[in-house]
Amino acid sequence: MTREPLPFDHRPDPALGAALRQALEPAEGSHTAFVARLLARVDDLRGTGSWDRVLARWARVGVAAAVVFSLAAGYLVGRATAAPARPSVAEALIAPRTPVVEVVLASVLGN
Amino acid sequence: MKPESQPPQPAARIPGQDEAALVARVRAGDRTAFGVLAERYAGVARRVARAVLGDPDDADDAAQDALLSALVKLDQYDPRRPFGPWLLRIVANAATDRRRRRKVRRVEPLDPALVAGGARPDATTEQRALSERLRTALAELSHRRRMAVVLFDVEGYSHAEIAAILGIPEGTVRSEVFHARRRLRVLLADWKEQE
Repeated sequence: MTREPLPFDHRPDPALGAALRQALEPAEGSHTAFVARLLARVDDLRGTGSWDRVLARWARVGVAAAVVFSLAAGYLVGRATAAPARPSVAEALIAPRTPVVEVVLASVLGN
Repeated sequence: MKPESQPPQPAARIPGQDEAALVARVRAGDRTAFGVLAERYAGVARRVARAVLGDPDDADDAAQDALLSALVKLDQYDPRRPFGPWLLRIVANAATDRRRRRKVRRVEPLDPALVAGGARPDATTEQRALSERLRTALAELSHRRRMAVVLFDVEGYSHAEIAAILGIPEGTVRSEVFHARRRLRVLLADWKEQE
């Protein structure tokens, strides 16, 4: 145990392991109580249905998120397809424009 | 009194077939099977949590949370792989999270005589004193280093398995184990010289 280990010694040190195990070992006789307490918590989860409730809550959140996403996507797609096509720059320049009445009158009066 | 020099006997080593069948039963909602699984892994889970947290009550709470969390997440477990490392990863995370959340670090003051290597306690309390010193020495290490050395030297997991448990490269595990051992061996050597 006191030998200097190689940097990458791949073998467990039994003496150190045993000493550490003893240092970390829970109090004697507490093992059964630990497992019993754990199983009681499992029963509580199942008994109150909280487990199912948690899953159901997550499911509801998922469904709500999917609905919101679908609505948003539908709105965007609908808007994109319903909007009139914007004219290109060339079309805009050569398109005949109807003169506005005020402009015609101003032009006549000016002459 | 010297600790017994026996090779680590990892309680968490269960024949793969047995383990897979047990996990399948738990998945099917068999409470008794979960009890058996918890019985087998409670020891290692509690020790690893204690290595991280120090306080035994905190460690037990973390181990319980981890075992319950494992039960809830059991669908995510790949039955082709060993169950122990998968579970211990959850335990390590639960203990580390708890440690982060703990605002005030509760470390019981150690008898200065033990720290300084003062007068030796009588034979009946000698082992307890050594354990106390080891726990104090462990507390001085980073929590990752603690877990690495405990998983390797106490629980008998390989470097590769520990790398999977801690989510770090295998080379880092080797380094962590090496540094932890060096520190702990100095402490144990001092203890031995005093005998």
